[in-house]
Amino acid sequence: MIIVDALAKSFGRKREIKAVDGVSFRAEDGAITGLLGPNGAGKTTLLRMLATLIAPDAGSATIDGLDIVHDRFKVRGRIGALSDARGLYGRLTARENVRYYGRLQGLTGSALDARVDQLLAQLGLAELADRRAQGFSQGERMKVAIARALVHDPAAILLDEPTNGLDIMSIRGLRDLLRKLRSSGKCILFSSHVMQEVAALCDTIVILGHGRVVASGSGAELRAKTGQATLEDVFVSLLGSGEGLAA
Amino acid sequence: MKPADRILTVVTKELVDTFRDRRTMMVTLLTAIAAGPLFLALILNVAASQADKARELKLPVAGEEHAPALIAFLQRAQVAISRAPADYEAKIRAGELDVVLAIDPAYEADVGSGKSATVRLVFDRSRDRARSAIDSAESLLRAYNRVWGSQRLALRGVAPDVGRPLNVEDIDLATPQQSGSLILFLVAYYGLFASLMGGMAAALDSTAGERERASLEPLLAMPLSPVQLIVGKWAAVATFDALVVALTLAGFYLTLNFAPLPAVGVPFLFGAAELGRFLLVLLPLIALLPAVLLYVGLRGRSLKEAQANVSALLFVVSMLPVIQHFLQEKEPPWLLWAPISGQFLLLSRALRGEAIPALDWLPSAAAPVALTALSLLAASRLISRETVLGTR
Repeated sequence: MIIVDALAKSFGRKREIKAVDGVSFRAEDGAITGLLGPNGAGKTTLLRMLATLIAPDAGSATIDGLDIVHDRFKVRGRIGALSDARGLYGRLTARENVRYYGRLQGLTGSALDARVDQLLAQLGLAELADRRAQGFSQGERMKVAIARALVHDPAAILLDEPTNGLDIMSIRGLRDLLRKLRSSGKCILFSSHVMQEVAALCDTIVILGHGRVVASGSGAELRAKTGQATLEDVFVSLLGSGEGLAA
Repeated sequence: MKPADRILTVVTKELVDTFRDRRTMMVTLLTAIAAGPLFLALILNVAASQADKARELKLPVAGEEHAPALIAFLQRAQVAISRAPADYEAKIRAGELDVVLAIDPAYEADVGSGKSATVRLVFDRSRDRARSAIDSAESLLRAYNRVWGSQRLALRGVAPDVGRPLNVEDIDLATPQQSGSLILFLVAYYGLFASLMGGMAAALDSTAGERERASLEPLLAMPLSPVQLIVGKWAAVATFDALVVALTLAGFYLTLNFAPLPAVGVPFLFGAAELGRFLLVLLPLIALLPAVLLYVGLRGRSLKEAQANVSALLFVVSMLPVIQHFLQEKEPPWLLWAPISGQFLLLSRALRGEAIPALDWLPSAAAPVALTALSLLAASRLISRETVLGTR
C-alpha cells in the first residue's frame, strides 16, 4: 500500500516552480490507482519521489510502511518503477538487460534464471530473449523495460505514462498484464494524461492539476460528484479548458 | 546482497557492454595500439635515411674550376661532387637541394696573393632533412682549412699548435639509449596517451551515453548507492584502460625487439624490465584518468556534449609532455608530484635505463590517488543530483 501525505517538491533557483504542492492520497493493494492530469501537472515528479529518485521538500510517503526517504534502499527493493525513461542497453540481449536488474536487486543463481525465463515467457519475449536490444521495436523495448522493472517481484508497481508510443496491440497487452498483477494483490499506481486509459483500467482515480489533487475517487464517484456524463467532461470541469492549446 | 557483489555486477555488465562495442574497440585498437608502433617504424626509417645521407654526402659545387685542390680533398673524403645548377639558390629554397658549395671567382687570385679565399656554403637550416648534409659539409671545410693552415705554418717553421691554441674534442656522454631522444619521447608519450584514450570511450558511454539513451533513471532506482554505482563503473573503465595500456606497450615491445627495423645505430632498449616499469609508472594514471573521465562524462547530457568537455582534458594531457620535452631544462624536484608531468618524468627515466626507486614512485602516485578518490566522490554526488534525471 502506498500512502502519500502532503508531499511537495519545487524546482528552480529560488524554488519558484511548485511541481508538486501538497499531494495526499492512498493507493491500495490489489487495486489500480490512476494519476490523471494534463502535461505539467506534476505526475512525473510525484512518481520520481515515490521511486526515491528525488527527495521531497516537504511531506512524506510510505510504501508498505517504509518511508521513501529514510528507508530509501528498502523501498527500492519493494517497488518496480517503469519511468518515462526506459532506455535499454543496446549491446546486451533482452535476457541480459533483465538479468542485470535482477542481479542488482539481489537475485542470484537458479532463482534469477527461473524468474527471468518466467517473465520473458509471460511477456511474449521468449523468441527475442537472446537478441541484442538495439534492433527492438518500441513495443518490444517496452516489454523488456517492464520485465526489468518486475524482475524482483515488487509489491508496488509505479508506471509513468506506460502507453506512450505504443500501438493498440501493445496497449491491450499491457492492460491485461496490469489486471493480472492486480489480481495477484499488487499495488499499482500509474500515471496518464489519456482519459480512456484511466477509465478503462483504474479502480481509483486521482486527478492532479498544478501540483495539487483536484479530486479523487472511482470513475463513478467522480462523475456523480461533478454531475458530468464522461470522465473527459469531469476532467475539463475540474481543471477548466484554460489548460489546453486553445487558451 | 553484499555491496561488493553489486559493484561486481556493475563491473561485469560494463565490461561486457564495452567489449561488444565494435566501433569503439576498432578505434581504440587503431589509435592506441597500432599507431604507436607505426609511428615508431616511420621515425626509425627517417633516421636511417638521414644516417645514409650523412655517410654519402652529395655536394653540388659552383665554380669548381677555381679550386682544384679543395675539390680533390673533398673527393678523397668520399664526397660525390657534381656541378651545381645555375639556379641553385631557388632549388635550395624549394628543398630540392640540401646544400651547395659556391667557390668565389677570385679564389685563385686571393690564394696567390696570400689573402683568405672565400667559399660559400649555401643552405636552408630550417630543413631538418638537410641538417646532416650541412653539418658534414661544414666539418669537411673546417678540416680542409685546418690542414692547409697547418701546412703553411709548418713551411714557415712554426709548430701547427701555435695557430691552434684551443683543441676542441667532442665527448658525447649520451649512452646509446639516450641518443634516440625523439624515439624515447614518442614511446613515453604514447604510453601516457594510451592511459587517457584507453578509458575515454568506455567512460563516456557509461555516463553521458547512459543519460542519452535514458537508461540512467531506472538504474538509479536500483537498491545500490551512488558510490557503489560509480565505483563499479570506474573499476570497469580502469580495467579496460589498463588493458589498452598493456597492449600499447606490448606493441612497442614487439616492434622494437622483433620487427625488422633499420639499424640506426641506436641500440634502443625497451625490454621486459622497461615494460614492467612503464606499467608501474602509469598505474596511478590508469586509476585517475578514468575517474576524471567519468566525472566529466556525467556533466554531459549527451555523448556529444561530453566529448566537447573532454577535449579540454585531452589538451592538457597531450600538451604537458610536449612542453616538458622541449623545455629541455633540468626538471624541478616538485615536478615529480604533479600528475602526468611526474609520470612523464619517470617514463623518460625508465627509458634511459634507470630504475624507478619507490621514493620517486610514491610522490608521483600520491596526487593521482588522492584525485581519484576526489573525482569518484564528486561523480557520486553528481549522479545523485536531481539534475541528472532532466535529460530532456
